[in-house]
Amino acid sequence: MMKKPLTLALAASAILVLAGCSAGAAAGDVAAKPSFELSVNTPAPTGELDKLTWSIYAEPYSLDYAYAFDYADNQVLANVCESLLSMNPDMSVSPGLATKFENKTPTTWVYTIREGVKFHDGTTLTADDVVASMSRHLDPKVGSFWFSAYANVQGIEKTGAHQVTVTTKVPDALFNESMSGAAGVIESKATLAKAGTDYGNSTGGVNCTGPFELTTWQSGEKLNLARFDGYWDKDRAAKAKELEFVIQTDTVARVNALKSGEIDGGWLLPSNAIGELNASGAGQMYFGVNSTVSSLVVSNPAGPLGNPEVRKALLMAIDRNGLVQAAESGYATRTNALTTQSVWDQADAATQEAAFGSLVDYPYDVEAAAKIIQEQGVAGQEITITTAPMGNNFAVTAQATAAAAESIGLKATINTVTPNAYSALFSDPAAREGTDLFYTSWYLSVGNPLEMFSILRTGDFSNYGSWSNPEFDKVVNQGLQSTDRKVGFAKAAEAQAIVNKELPWLPLNESPTNLWMNNKITGASPSVNYLYYPWAAHIGSK
Amino acid sequence: MAQSNLATATATAPTPGATSPQRSAIPALKLAASKIGSFLFTVFVSSVIVFFSRWLVPGDPINFLLRGRSPNPEAIAEVTAIYGLDKPPLEQYWNWVTGIILHGDFGRSLQYRQDVSDVILGRLPVTLGLVVMAGLMIAILGLAAGMCAALVRGSWMDRAIVASMSGLAAIPSFVGAIVLIAIFAVQLRMFPSFGSGNGFGDMIYHLVLPSLALALSFIAVVGRVTRSSMVEQFAREHVEVARSRGITPAAVVVRHVLRNATGPILTVSGLLVAGLLVSSAIVEQAFGLAGMGSLLVSSVDRLDFPVVQAIVLIVVTAFVAINTLVDLLGPVIDPRLKAGEGAR
Repeated sequence: MMKKPLTLALAASAILVLAGCSAGAAAGDVAAKPSFELSVNTPAPTGELDKLTWSIYAEPYSLDYAYAFDYADNQVLANVCESLLSMNPDMSVSPGLATKFENKTPTTWVYTIREGVKFHDGTTLTADDVVASMSRHLDPKVGSFWFSAYANVQGIEKTGAHQVTVTTKVPDALFNESMSGAAGVIESKATLAKAGTDYGNSTGGVNCTGPFELTTWQSGEKLNLARFDGYWDKDRAAKAKELEFVIQTDTVARVNALKSGEIDGGWLLPSNAIGELNASGAGQMYFGVNSTVSSLVVSNPAGPLGNPEVRKALLMAIDRNGLVQAAESGYATRTNALTTQSVWDQADAATQEAAFGSLVDYPYDVEAAAKIIQEQGVAGQEITITTAPMGNNFAVTAQATAAAAESIGLKATINTVTPNAYSALFSDPAAREGTDLFYTSWYLSVGNPLEMFSILRTGDFSNYGSWSNPEFDKVVNQGLQSTDRKVGFAKAAEAQAIVNKELPWLPLNESPTNLWMNNKITGASPSVNYLYYPWAAHIGSK
Repeated sequence: MAQSNLATATATAPTPGATSPQRSAIPALKLAASKIGSFLFTVFVSSVIVFFSRWLVPGDPINFLLRGRSPNPEAIAEVTAIYGLDKPPLEQYWNWVTGIILHGDFGRSLQYRQDVSDVILGRLPVTLGLVVMAGLMIAILGLAAGMCAALVRGSWMDRAIVASMSGLAAIPSFVGAIVLIAIFAVQLRMFPSFGSGNGFGDMIYHLVLPSLALALSFIAVVGRVTRSSMVEQFAREHVEVARSRGITPAAVVVRHVLRNATGPILTVSGLLVAGLLVSSAIVEQAFGLAGMGSLLVSSVDRLDFPVVQAIVLIVVTAFVAINTLVDLLGPVIDPRLKAGEGAR
């Protein structure tokens, strides 16, 4: 069972004290045992539900799959719209709306479209719908958020009554896997044409093939879904007649509603509320596979952190085990990699060992770190850590990092900006000016580590620190362009080793996916695949 | 804020406008024309401020539309053009204003990718319900408390009412909301703590606590203004005369005291509307209601400037319109204003 984590205040003060006094701090940090257990499944339900109410922490911006790229958007959309491929709890892919996918030449992917699938309006899925849905990502007028998945695509054509062929400019291993997520969602061609620019918003709605259909969207308050009786897959038909997503931006209100049983369940609960929820006895918290790593992005190559030795010293000065307790209430694990082991699940044991077995550990050692700072001649230089009031983990991480930097002889300033200005760090180079470090929880959408490494290539949009390593670019491109998955994982392992030595981002910890279900319901698998898989269909009464 | 409203109210109590001694319709029309003229001018100036203030805010709306996702370079140009952001600011302003006047079109929301008018219309029922219910509570409870106190002026009862109203006026609506939730939703479980329910009747039920939280401090303001202007009238000669002529106390209060006290009450009520619309943002957040106030807060946070501009413009227009209406109604209720009589 779960161990009670250290109290937050105690842990927070401990880390600040430890990071703050450089001379007295002991070297080395013993790996703390995680205070949670991962489950693959939850008990199977015994009956149906009239109504399932679910808490989401924010309103979806849009249910248009082209703009669904966030926890709130995707966890709703996953129950309404389906993709060509289906993502399993271990992030592997299976047939979805395509019964078969073949890589006939390195640059062609051929999808056989499932017959007899109905859209929510009763019309039948055709290859034309598939072509229309996928082609939208290439349309500049749409400005799809999933464009990067389609960046290498040259053509999307109907090549048979039930066949669609995608050709790419260069071999692209990630493309096919992306078809298990929002990038592979299929919508009715007629609906897309009819709804136009209102497609996917609260007036335009969506018309897909999923086990639930959208009935109403009361903007700012809730979204109502109803079971779709014409659903094609009897094994995945919904057990709840109605599904209501309640938008709760206030964490306290959210936790209270879950404790009182007013709302049945929720994903992604703040880690400092987990203890409180468990203590209420109103339900159970489950932990499962995730693909998220929390890290510090180094965003200023011209500053002291442009030097890899200084980055190493800073990482060594951060008590990452203490941070797990203080920032995540113990519901996380310290890591040295920018990818979770879960995205390597489909690699063989030897490759996994190559990827994780010999990573440099950067143990907590303030004295050694301070010595590096002296040797590199950067003592007294300034770094700016940008943060936003977006939760306990943001505040604690920023403070701990600043204290760590000060403890080894750097000068650190914390720059607090609005959540919106913080999001701009991820899209606007001008917004990153004057920022040396910022915190991120970065998740991967496919079970392939190359998705992470692709963004650290020279010149990539999300390579925020303009980090560049020709050897790294070479191995990542080789991996991405190989359609042999074994080669892909092997190249990814090489990339992981380079990143581990160079530290373009400083890896802190990885958190499991968390899921709360009250005592009335059961059935969902606690896995990050809830973003793309119709998880709510499996929930029924206990 | 409640108290500053009161201060403004006293300062801007209707003063006789036109100076013509004749009781003709022309000064009244002139007054109406000038009031409407200044209404239009105020709305125009505020539309300019509201629209151009966007350029003072750091951050590019396009970055918000992309939200950190790696874009197709052509898409940035296309999306900029779709939202009309590639045009010079003056042309954007012209398109915005003509869109509103000719088609009621406030542009497209960046966060919802939807017409701003649709976004706002979706939120309107909750805010209207909230403001109307709070308005009724303010009118009924505020007037009743003020009249009660004025009728028993000088007694311990009067002092008790005045003291409790001073206390109420000092309670900010977010504190009121927390206290009401704690007592009536959590402890007594008489009312729901969040959401606006399903259907009309359920919505009214859900809105009882929020509108009470919103109304509390305003009840106190209206109550105190009612009391003080009625007390003032009780001391006036014509009331004494009416009494000495043997008119029933009830008729004296209704015909001579209350009617003459209406002016200040009406003026304060007009000013309260702005306060109601502003405080509703706080109350909506506290009760998890999807109204215009919470929409404004989230839109500011998400840099969704078309929605922010539309809401601010609507609130300013509503505020100015109601106050213009109050100014125009003044002479109808109180003929002395129309006559331009200086002394009372």
